[in-house]
Amino acid sequence: MTPKTVHFQFNGVAVTATQGQTIAAALIADGWKSLRKTRVKGKPRSIFCGIGVCFDCVVIVDTIANQRSCLIEVTNGMNVASQS
Amino acid sequence: MIVVIGGGPAGMSAALEIAKSGVEVTLLDAAPRLGGQYWRHLPDAWIRPSGAKYLYDQVKIFIDAIKESSHITYLRGAHVWSASNTGDGICINYLKDNAEKSLVAQKIVIATGAYDRALPFPGWDIPGVMTPGAAQALLKGSGVVVGKKIVVGGTGPFLLPVSLGLIGAGAHIVGIFEANSPSKWITSLRAMILNSSKIWEGKYFLTKLRKEGAPLHFGEVIIAASPGSDGNLRSVTVAKINRNSSLRKGSEKIIECDVAAIGWGFVPDLSIAGALGCAQKVDCDGTVIACVDEKQLSSNPRVWIVGELTGIGGHELSLVEGAIAGQAITGGAIDPALIKVRKRLQIFARALQRSYPVPQSRHSWLTEDTTICRCEEVTYCDIRESVSALGAMDARTSKLFTRAGMGLCQGRMCTRNVSEIVAQLRATQVLDAERISSSNRPTAAPISLGALSDGEKG
Repeated sequence: MTPKTVHFQFNGVAVTATQGQTIAAALIADGWKSLRKTRVKGKPRSIFCGIGVCFDCVVIVDTIANQRSCLIEVTNGMNVASQS
Repeated sequence: MIVVIGGGPAGMSAALEIAKSGVEVTLLDAAPRLGGQYWRHLPDAWIRPSGAKYLYDQVKIFIDAIKESSHITYLRGAHVWSASNTGDGICINYLKDNAEKSLVAQKIVIATGAYDRALPFPGWDIPGVMTPGAAQALLKGSGVVVGKKIVVGGTGPFLLPVSLGLIGAGAHIVGIFEANSPSKWITSLRAMILNSSKIWEGKYFLTKLRKEGAPLHFGEVIIAASPGSDGNLRSVTVAKINRNSSLRKGSEKIIECDVAAIGWGFVPDLSIAGALGCAQKVDCDGTVIACVDEKQLSSNPRVWIVGELTGIGGHELSLVEGAIAGQAITGGAIDPALIKVRKRLQIFARALQRSYPVPQSRHSWLTEDTTICRCEEVTYCDIRESVSALGAMDARTSKLFTRAGMGLCQGRMCTRNVSEIVAQLRATQVLDAERISSSNRPTAAPISLGALSDGEKG
């Protein structure tokens, strides 16, 4: 058995990942260092706790904001975007 | 009905023990795959790296037993967001597949585990700085190595397997900076003799790291992180600490890296236990833990609490506590051998606490513009002024002035740090009541008003 390849979008850019990976893991593997900019100071942020506690890695997934990218696994056609 | 919340070592052990006595049990776990943090693993379709096989073989036994048991209902991806005492049981509200559901249990076992303790320092909010748990979760659960040149720091034995895992996956560990000296173990000879296998495990990690050429520095801490022109991590500053924990002047070194994985032990997630009114206490190192009796029963007669929530002790202690609670909850006799093992492992857990304290000098690393609350972007200057100019007396009053702890994480990352910073600025100690109240929060996981009100509950 080989794991399936999954295609999704991040900020309009096509990203290829492997089924079973979280959004955050797939983006880091694809070379994305920062996942969003902060609301007040516009500073870049990425993953921090990696297990759903700190909310630093929140993104918009299929129009729903504040989704923890370190918890949600990628699916085909998923539309992920940065939020502030 | 009996419900177990949390599918890590403690929760799986409890569920299996309950099922063994022929009693029906429902196991709720938020993750896509059972195992918790310790036994986080890749999906079955993946080719497992040889380093991960050892842990996978362990968890596979538990997962198979749970799947095969006709008494266990396993609810995958069920995020418990609140729980309450009703007249005749405990109502557990959870989110599964984006819908809110609830069930009522007569008795429950809480096994919600712990997360890395993070201390603030200049630059800890730059992309690339993360907890060792984050680096490990990405590797164990998604097969992704977080960086190429990694520094690991903080304190505790956890730093060693994290470093080895990253090396095994191809990363270069530039250095491991353990704040404490191994000489601290001298006061724990009894714990070491009783738990010789743990000492061998530690020795194995140290030997292997040396063989891999990963430099291990004792008595050194990462005190700052700096970004490159792209805003991402480019380097960290490390410094030696003196015996009295102050920074040694002139010992600072700058080390280039693309990831810094820094952790200071663990914080139990007491959200559900707190919501159910389970008594808590402050452990000797300031960590808030749940109070339980010798059968793992909490102050709530319907609630048993196991694993890291009763004191950070690792997966073996979690397994034993889970089994004890499983026997107790079904009214069976407790195996005296389990009680003995628990005692032995608790002695080792105490030794860990003594050997890996956080440095007393940690607040001297902070600068005026260091972020303290990551969510609300509150700085050390803001906290200091809330005390000096506005009269804040604790984390709660400082929060009202600064918003520290009011963001999405509900203060999980910063409140303990804010409490300790405010107390130090006021030259006082954090009260136990403050530590306990700030470790509790009304919701354990975020839920949208839409999911709450869509009428599909049931």
